[in-house]
Parts: sequence; structure tokens; C-alpha cells
Amino acid sequence: MTFSVKRFMAIFQKDLKDLYRNMYVSSTALMPLIFAVIYGRMDNVTIEMHLFVISMSLALVGTFLQCAMIAEEKEKNTLRGLMLSPATLTEILSGKSAVTILITVIVTGISMFIMDFSFSGRIGLMAGIVLSLIFFIALGTWMGLITRSVLEASVYILPVMFIFGMGNMFIMFAEQYAFLQILEYTPGLQLQEIVELEDAGAGFGELWKPFAIIGAWAAAMVVLAAVTFKKRMMD
Amino acid sequence: MENMIEVISLEKIFGKKQALNNVSFQVKKGETFGFLGPSGSGKTTTIKILTGQMRPTAGTAKVFGEPVSKLNTPEYRKRFGVVTDNSGLYARLTIYDNLKLYADLYGTSLQRIDEALEAVNLGSEKKTQVAKLSKGMTQRVLLARTLLHKPELLFLDEPTSALDPANSKHIHNGLKELNRQGTTIFLTTHDMEEADHLCSQVAFLNKGVVQLLDEPKQLKKQYREEVIGLELKDGRELELPLQSSSAEEIQQYISREMVERIYTKEPTLGDIFVEVTGRELV
Repeated sequence: MTFSVKRFMAIFQKDLKDLYRNMYVSSTALMPLIFAVIYGRMDNVTIEMHLFVISMSLALVGTFLQCAMIAEEKEKNTLRGLMLSPATLTEILSGKSAVTILITVIVTGISMFIMDFSFSGRIGLMAGIVLSLIFFIALGTWMGLITRSVLEASVYILPVMFIFGMGNMFIMFAEQYAFLQILEYTPGLQLQEIVELEDAGAGFGELWKPFAIIGAWAAAMVVLAAVTFKKRMMD
Repeated sequence: MENMIEVISLEKIFGKKQALNNVSFQVKKGETFGFLGPSGSGKTTTIKILTGQMRPTAGTAKVFGEPVSKLNTPEYRKRFGVVTDNSGLYARLTIYDNLKLYADLYGTSLQRIDEALEAVNLGSEKKTQVAKLSKGMTQRVLLARTLLHKPELLFLDEPTSALDPANSKHIHNGLKELNRQGTTIFLTTHDMEEADHLCSQVAFLNKGVVQLLDEPKQLKKQYREEVIGLELKDGRELELPLQSSSAEEIQQYISREMVERIYTKEPTLGDIFVEVTGRELV
């Protein structure tokens, strides 16, 4: 399999330039920052609040940005042009994902800066965020491929935001509503598990379970996105 | 001569509808091949199969001597270009940015952007945002995008359908020049004048079946009426057999200065299509 850095960069630059001019989609990235400002002004900012904003960034920026970019390519018939060009599936998806990763990392970084949170010494959490980001971007890719327009993508993102972005908040009601216990297995709650284990002094050997769960989500979604993309290459 | 495209007994079935039925043809290197038919006749389906976007139900389709299933590699994709009626551009970017993306994807020099834009008469518009372009200009940018990498084989699906006559003529001249330089062109159109002007061979496709395949000149010869028409100054119109015996009669009309116009009754490709298929080209 070939991978051309030039083709990857061409797609990355084009998407960055296009996104810069797309106020509808790029303004979504402001949402986690708004939450960061609100929570950051509180007297006691708990780790749960930090993780809520991180999950929100991953779901809303990572997933929605990727989903909207791909949905728009389909809506405007530009994805077919890329598919018929020499760019491979890997180059197209990695070029787009690189833009989403860059913006998600910037938004998450600024949000945490606003909330006065330091990642220093939290290697497990950072690794967990990176692994979760793979899941959220693959989810965005898959959703972009199954939706027909940016408007449709904006509707489809709502359940993703509630389940994966706000899972840390809804888990509080799990005792009243048993079905919400499923949220414990979402990447956001697994990040919380990693933080709790890290704070309790657990080593990497004891962190395998949350990493395995997030890894399973990521692997399953990457496979689903790749299979769907290959199917979409054919009419 | 080497075949660029070879199609044998191609079939495509969508549910209960047979879109292509036993379609066979060859396109030789350097040829401009016209695939003519009304909407829904199977032209776009054929292009999709030939460019690897759709699998045929049965039959063989080869491009560059290889089965179309092998076209999904960067090496093959660099050898052909496609413009279809649903090709799109990035509306928020400029013409230049759109073409730069494809110049980078195909690994061609940025100088080619100016050359390709000149070829479609848009040399002065490269900084214009695509969202501000008319449909005709958008079509010309799509054509320029396809010309960037000087493909060996060009698939054009109704390339001038949205253009005014002046720009159509400009595009036709550009395509003729490209063909002279060695590019093989596979053109679908329902514009018979366009086909007549550009194509060295045409196939009539009707309801998924190729009903006729030949050179436009040969077809017109085969279907022409063997008569000479005379339009006289008094308004009468005469039709005389295209034989030497008519020469004397024609000469008499001319010598009496009665003739307004003399013409042969050569059918257009459109006339032939209607005669062969019983359908209008719409």
C-alpha cells in the first residue's frame, strides 16, 4: 500500500482552508470553550468537570467536525472527485483526520488552560485521550459517510453528544435509571476511571482495563468506517 | 491499433431494470468516441463501470488492457480523467485553490493550472471564489481540473451541456487540440452536432442496447437520401435523383438564373438516431 505525504498534505491544507471559511461548522468548536469559561469561574472545579469538558471537546469537535467535513464532501459531490483521483483511502481519511485532530487538540488544550488544569504527570490520561480521539474521529468518519448533508449530520450528532459527550453527567442518574449504567463503558467514563486509578497510585499494569475498553471502541469504529468508505467508493 | 477501452457483452441490472444489455465496443488509442443516447439510456452507467465506480452484472470491461477492477490504484488513476454531470468543486475556495489541490494530488506542476485555465477560457478568473461562478463557468473549471494532468484517456459525461455556444466552441477546440496531442476521449452526449464535430466513431445507445456503431461520415453516407434539392427563386422546391441524368436539368435552371439554393439531403446524426431508435434525443 502506498502513502504519499504530498497527497496527504494537499488534502490537509485544502480542508484547513475550507474549514476556516466555514463558520457554521467551525463555530461548533466554541462550545467546549464556553463550558470551560463557565466551569472555570467556579470556586471548586472538580476533575469530573474537567473530564466533562474534555469529553465534550472530543465528541463535539472530534466527531462533528469530521462528520460535517465528510457529509459536505458527499453533499457537494466532491468526495467522488477525490476517490477518482490518485489519492488513496488512507490518504483521504488521514488528511481529513489530521485537521480534526489539530483543532480538537487546540480546543481541548485551550479549554484546560481556561480551567487551570495541568496534564503534567497525567500520562495515563493523555494516552487515554489520544486513544479516545481515534474512536471519536472514526465515529465522525462513519457518520459522515452515512449522512447525506451537513444539516443531517447536525441532527445525527445530538445522540453522540448526549451519550459520549455528556455521559459523565448522565451517569449520576444511573441508580434511578438502570439502563444508564451502559454509559460506564463509554470512553469518557473510562477516562475518569484512568484518572481515579492514577490518583490512587496505580501503575500502567493496573490501567489495562479502561485502555482495553477504549481500544475496543476505537478498533471497532475504525473497521466500521473503513468498510463503509470502501462500500461508498462503489455505486 | 491498440485498444484503450474494450467492452464485451456488458450487462448491468438494477433490481428489475436492465440498464445495459449485451453492450460491446472498442475505443482505439487516439480516438474520440461518442456514446450517444437520450437520458436514461445507460451512458452514465457505462462511464461509472469504465472508471471503476460501479461493478457490472456480467460481461467484460477493460481499460488500458486491464480489467476495470484494477483501476483503483494511484498509478492507473493518473492515466485517466473524468468529468461527469455530478462532479463538484469546493465552493468556498477559489478556482486556483481547487485546481491546486488536484495539481498536488496528480503531482503536476502548478504552471499547469494556468495552462488548463487558458484552455477553458478562464485564465483571468483564477482568484474568483467558486461559489460566485455560473453553472457554465463551473463546468469549465471541472474540465480544466481534468486537463491538469494531461490524461491518456478522458471520460466526459455531457461536457458542454451547461455552456453557451461561444464557450462550447472554445471547449470543442480545446478537446480537438487535446485529441491531436494523443489523448483518447470517451464522450457521452445527446448533442448530435457536438458528436458530429468531435467524434471519429459514435455508438447509439438506446434503452441499454447499442443499436448502431460507426464513423459519423459513414452513417451519414449510409442514411442519406440520394437526391439533390433545388430551391428556386419563385419559391418552389425540387428534388432530383443524385444521378448524372439530373445534371442537364439542373444546368437549365441555373442558366435561366432561377436557382436560389442547391443542397444535398444529408441527414444529421440526430435524424439517424430517430430513424434507428424511434426516439428523440432528450
